[in-house]
Amino acid sequence: MRVVIAEDLFLLRDGLVRLVQSYGHEVVAAVDSGPATLDALLKERPDVAVVDVRLPPTFSDEGLQAALAARREIPGLPVLILSQHVEQLYAGELLADARGGVGYQLKDRVLDADQFMDALTRVAAGGTALDPAVVAKLLGRPRRADPLATLTDRERSVLALMAEGISNTAIAARLFLSEGAISKYTTTIFAKLNLHPDDDTNRRVRAVLTYLNATNADA
Amino acid sequence: MAIRAVRRFGEGLRRTLVLAALTAPLPVVGVTVGWFGALFASTWTDDMHAPLIVRGLVTAGQVLAVLLWVAGALWMTHALTSRPLAEAARRRARRWLGLELEVAYGGIAPVTRMATGYWWDGREYHKSEREARRRAVMNARFHDPQVRWDGLWALVAGVTVFPVTALPPVAAGVGVWLAGSGRTVIGVLILVLSLVAGASAGRIFRPVAVRFLGPNAGTRLRELETLQADLTQTQAAELERIERGLHDGAQARLVAMGMSMQAAERMVDADPEAAKAILAEARASSRAALEELRSLVRGINPPVLVERGLVDAVRALALDVPVEVTVHAAVPARPERPVESAMYFAVAELLTNVAKHAHATCVLVDLGYADRTLTASVTDDGVGGVASPAAVPRSSGAGGSSLAGGSSSAGGSSLAGGSSSAGGSSPAAAGSGLLGIARRMAAFGGRLEIDSPVGGPTRATVSVPCVL
Repeated sequence: MRVVIAEDLFLLRDGLVRLVQSYGHEVVAAVDSGPATLDALLKERPDVAVVDVRLPPTFSDEGLQAALAARREIPGLPVLILSQHVEQLYAGELLADARGGVGYQLKDRVLDADQFMDALTRVAAGGTALDPAVVAKLLGRPRRADPLATLTDRERSVLALMAEGISNTAIAARLFLSEGAISKYTTTIFAKLNLHPDDDTNRRVRAVLTYLNATNADA
Repeated sequence: MAIRAVRRFGEGLRRTLVLAALTAPLPVVGVTVGWFGALFASTWTDDMHAPLIVRGLVTAGQVLAVLLWVAGALWMTHALTSRPLAEAARRRARRWLGLELEVAYGGIAPVTRMATGYWWDGREYHKSEREARRRAVMNARFHDPQVRWDGLWALVAGVTVFPVTALPPVAAGVGVWLAGSGRTVIGVLILVLSLVAGASAGRIFRPVAVRFLGPNAGTRLRELETLQADLTQTQAAELERIERGLHDGAQARLVAMGMSMQAAERMVDADPEAAKAILAEARASSRAALEELRSLVRGINPPVLVERGLVDAVRALALDVPVEVTVHAAVPARPERPVESAMYFAVAELLTNVAKHAHATCVLVDLGYADRTLTASVTDDGVGGVASPAAVPRSSGAGGSSLAGGSSSAGGSSLAGGSSSAGGSSPAAAGSGLLGIARRMAAFGGRLEIDSPVGGPTRATVSVPCVL
């Protein structure tokens, strides 16, 4: 894959570059500011970009804004946002265009190289990779007539993993269940949430996220 | 028409009597002690024969003695009656004249232990905590600057309001006595005149009240001083908490990580499996250290606030509160950072309170800017009955309400423990958080207003003057 990396801290940028290269991908640009990020994204059109939320010169949410602007130019441009803290607000903005190809992860997830690269690959393939912390908040959000309350604990954990953007195979591996069991769970979950079941992982994850992202899902 | 006139007349008389009663103690005690003191002092020289010069000196001494007695009596009367009487007079001023004379009494100052081992009661050092506490209570009762102003009011009113309002009833009594003892005409005349005078004598109250009952420059200055002291103390507590959070949390974990890495280094050749296990453990504690740092940072300066400003930060806050929150915002620009931060933490604390105590189903947060004032109101449909915090009192101890208003419910435990009692669901706990907000807002010249009838809805509004 051709990867763009935008991160202002030298150590972390360097580490990310090495990590991505060690998995056999090509880093086409490593930048350290908001404007440079936007330029690199538009010029290189990478297969996936890793972007830090807070970048110079303003140290506000420049990275996030650059990523969103680039996605407006190139719809569905895969971006994995990294941040020291996760906010539902930002997750909502990233998911708003419902095109997939977005990830939003805490910076320290990089420590788990395999999982991080797995998330990056998912995003590059047009999927989603949401941080468990975001998903937990999405699941905990209050709703009128909350159908989530009808889910069993096991169904909830399947739904949480699904919302992170993980495929059925991977969910099965994590929960030590068979894939058949997982697809049974997903069918039940979709029935309970009044969602349309779908075979395509990405579309299914998007349905779940749209559902969770709606402030009041009046079922 | 006539009925109304009679009623007004009666009300005037009643007010005159009430004012006379409210302003009586100081002049009555002073005159009584002075009179009987003079009588008593004069008995010392009943049959004294001495040269004129000596008698002059003795008389001066007598006068001095009487003055001392009067002063002592006045001082004791003031200490015991000034504050309640001034407060009663203020209530009357509000009810009768619509005067809002808001003054603040400093409460009982917090007692803090100094590094030297001595106890500070806000004025001086003491050897034991018990003594310091006793003195703090005494100070609040007798050395409060506002109580001194109340004493001034009692003194001034004693020589202005009291004579004017006490004369008509006394004259009326004299009139009745004269009429009863046969001098009917003059008696009735005096009675009628005194009643007419009595009906409007109460008018002297307003000018004196405006000048001496309300807040004055001194009060405002003192409020600011108090605020400063408060902020200094809360800031110190804040720094201490941050330091402790870093010291006991992240720092300790980093030390532990270093040690496990060293252990792993030693074992890597001999027992690679164990080394791997130790390294995995080290990574887990690095994650925990990060978590701790994150929640600390959230309590000091929430990242969303830095990145996005007040409106979006409040939106993010609303998403994290386990109640349905709608945010309306019409703020043209980002306010100054300190104001922004104070506003943010105020809203955070209010939302936390709603989530904790109100049993609300929906909450509306409204951010607006008008007339150079930034306001944030939090309205909930909960149980209501929230008591307003008093206007910037001094009474919260260190470690009471923190500088950073309240706990933002996001990110688990926040640095800013708004209410001092752990998990406090008591009204007092809710109150101390509100007190923190009020105090923090006051530092910027802002206010916190709470309208919360029992049964709801509750509407809390924080407003701060600022130019955007």
